[in-house]
Amino acid sequence: MEILNKLEVKHINKSFDDKKVLNDISFSVKDGEFLSVLGPSGCGKTTLLRILIGLEKADAGEILVDGKNIADLAPSQRDMGIIFQNYALFPAMSVLQNVEYALKLRKDLKPKAREIAIQTLTQIGMADQMKKKPNQLSGGQQQRVAIARTLALNPKIVLLDEPISALDVTNREIMKRELKEIQHKFHTTMVFITHDQEEAFFLSDRIMVLSEGNIEQIDTPENIFKAPATPFVESFVIDHLEQKYHSLLKCTGRLEAK
Amino acid sequence: MLKKIRSGQLIVFIFLFFSVICPLAVLLLNIHMSDIQQIIQSEQFLPMLSHSLLATTLATLISVSLAILLSWLINRSNIHFKGLLTVLFTVPMLIPSISHGMGLVLLFGDNGLVTQFLGLNINLYGMTGIVMGSVLYSFPVAFLMFNDIFRYEDYTVYEAAEVLGLSKYQQFKCITMVNLNRPLISSIFAVFTMVFTDYGVPLVVGGKTMTLPVYMYREVIGLLDFSKGAVIGVILLIPAVIAFIVDLMNKDKGNSSTVTRAYEIKPNLGRDIIAAILCWTVVALISLPILAFTYLTFVNKYPIDLSLSLGHIFEALQLGVDMYLINSLCIAMLTGMAGTAISYYTAFLTARSKKNFSKLMLHMISMLSLAIPGVVLGLSYVLFFHDSWIYGTLIILVTVNCIHFFASPYLLAYNSLKQFNENIEDVSETLGISRWRMLIDVYIPGTRETIAEMFSYFFVNAMVTISAVSFLANFRNMPLALLIPQFDSQSLIEATAFISILILIVNSVLKFIIYLTRRYLRKQENMA
Repeated sequence: MEILNKLEVKHINKSFDDKKVLNDISFSVKDGEFLSVLGPSGCGKTTLLRILIGLEKADAGEILVDGKNIADLAPSQRDMGIIFQNYALFPAMSVLQNVEYALKLRKDLKPKAREIAIQTLTQIGMADQMKKKPNQLSGGQQQRVAIARTLALNPKIVLLDEPISALDVTNREIMKRELKEIQHKFHTTMVFITHDQEEAFFLSDRIMVLSEGNIEQIDTPENIFKAPATPFVESFVIDHLEQKYHSLLKCTGRLEAK
Repeated sequence: MLKKIRSGQLIVFIFLFFSVICPLAVLLLNIHMSDIQQIIQSEQFLPMLSHSLLATTLATLISVSLAILLSWLINRSNIHFKGLLTVLFTVPMLIPSISHGMGLVLLFGDNGLVTQFLGLNINLYGMTGIVMGSVLYSFPVAFLMFNDIFRYEDYTVYEAAEVLGLSKYQQFKCITMVNLNRPLISSIFAVFTMVFTDYGVPLVVGGKTMTLPVYMYREVIGLLDFSKGAVIGVILLIPAVIAFIVDLMNKDKGNSSTVTRAYEIKPNLGRDIIAAILCWTVVALISLPILAFTYLTFVNKYPIDLSLSLGHIFEALQLGVDMYLINSLCIAMLTGMAGTAISYYTAFLTARSKKNFSKLMLHMISMLSLAIPGVVLGLSYVLFFHDSWIYGTLIILVTVNCIHFFASPYLLAYNSLKQFNENIEDVSETLGISRWRMLIDVYIPGTRETIAEMFSYFFVNAMVTISAVSFLANFRNMPLALLIPQFDSQSLIEATAFISILILIVNSVLKFIIYLTRRYLRKQENMA
């Protein structure tokens, strides 16, 4: 049987103290695809991400990577990487040490740890900063190191928890583009968590709109824009973008087209 | 991986259970109604209680006011040598409380230097002496608390007030006073507890004015009456427990106020001159007892023969001072190492893992040691460990010191470890890095300066303490500081002066080494 989906999530449910946070979540991500999980704060998107990587346990449901259920594996055995908004670098270590460290602890990768670390940092454009400590870097640079640290282990899927929200507007734009380049360069499957509609529309192959633990719609940005499935999607996604780009849309004539 | 952490947590729990909970429980079990009645109904009790309360209240008021004034002067004027002044203000922390009493005796006692040479008799013995000594002993602690507050006060609020046209007085009332609220309560309780439970100062300058801790000390050391001692111990525990609870409720929950801008001090020569005069006067007053110790150590036979000699040093060595110095160094080193390791590891458990009930318990027990006065802890150790093999060894002295001084270094480590990124465990878990590796490769390298400071705190306090260890030490394992009350009762005044100087030297050297270490670490950190 041919496996088409890199990641397949089936019927995930999660409650905290009787409060339903995730309600029967099922979706799939194709190999090399960039999926955004878009929703307002408190919609359950971060919980979903933590369940995917194994930092949180779902009440019910299956998580399949390459067709194999990983729901009972430890986070480090899931072949997934995670990037957080606040970088979470190891403060006392240099850039190179940060990337190299986890590799060194893996028996199979240990002999090539430095080589892999340098190679990854070079690919990500941080080769000239390798000796610096995290606190000597800008926010964008720190995030690139965090990405390199994750990619060095060659995970099958990378999860990103609002990775560029902490950056200032200019750097956010730059990182957005770089993220896309990185994904192409490494051919990594990515699941990207965000509350920012523009980020989601700019970056994603497909977007999953989440509200109060329910999937409102999963589709390509274009299709979501053309045909919002629920009133929530209409107001949270479409109205927001329209208001923001009203004049722009008017010029391009897309407002009338809708 | 998770199991390892659980077992680590279990070990800490067991350790704290046997070294904190059990002794305290045994102490409380040793209290009999009849003893309570006997003590409370005795004629001495009410005068003792009122002496203790009066002396403590006065000393607290003076210490805290002085601390506010001086930390304000240092941080809000342009005087020179601020760093040096801060260090000099805290020098009294490097000698035992009883030395402060001895210093006053040497200066203002019947044969004291001031009494003899200036003909000034202040009637030291009694309330005057107790308050003076207690202020010397507690002022540095209060000073450090306020110094931190003033140093890290955010200036942008003052700028905003300036723009709004608030007068200096209004600014002081609405900004400074509000910022001082919490530390004021904390420091008042800290100083009060410290002075209320100290027997060192009143033992030597109290004269006929008996205080509760001195009474407890005499009952236990002199008469071996443990049950009476336990009753007094519980009375001493009361303000400490109140302080502990108030402090817990008083704790800044967020505590994340970052300085956006340092306070901008405008030029004002008049203010600077007054500030400098006040600061250096206090330094002079603080150093008087230390100068007196030095003088007395090297004078042949005060006040008859004032020629200089090394006689007292040889005399002291003959009395075994060198051996007790080695004892003290061993105890301080071991306390420093064991205390730092245990409190750091405990902080690692409580600060760097998900909150749950057992973490909260561990945190509470760790803070609890803040509320147990040394003499009370010491007595409870006597009662609990009396028949065990560790009684009478160095181990019990090191253990009691570790517990007695546990809370402050624990909090230092806790706060440092809290500053690490909240997601760092999540990342390491997904990268396959164990918690042990994180501790060794990430947390410890990232908090080396804090660890140095923790060690210094344990070491210095183990050198100067006379409270918890007093009931537990014997002539073989006794630390140096405990020779002071012994020599004092034998009227070997010069020897006590020499011991005070010795302790001061050891602690100053240690502090200097720690200072160099931290500077080296910081340099290393900034290099890349």
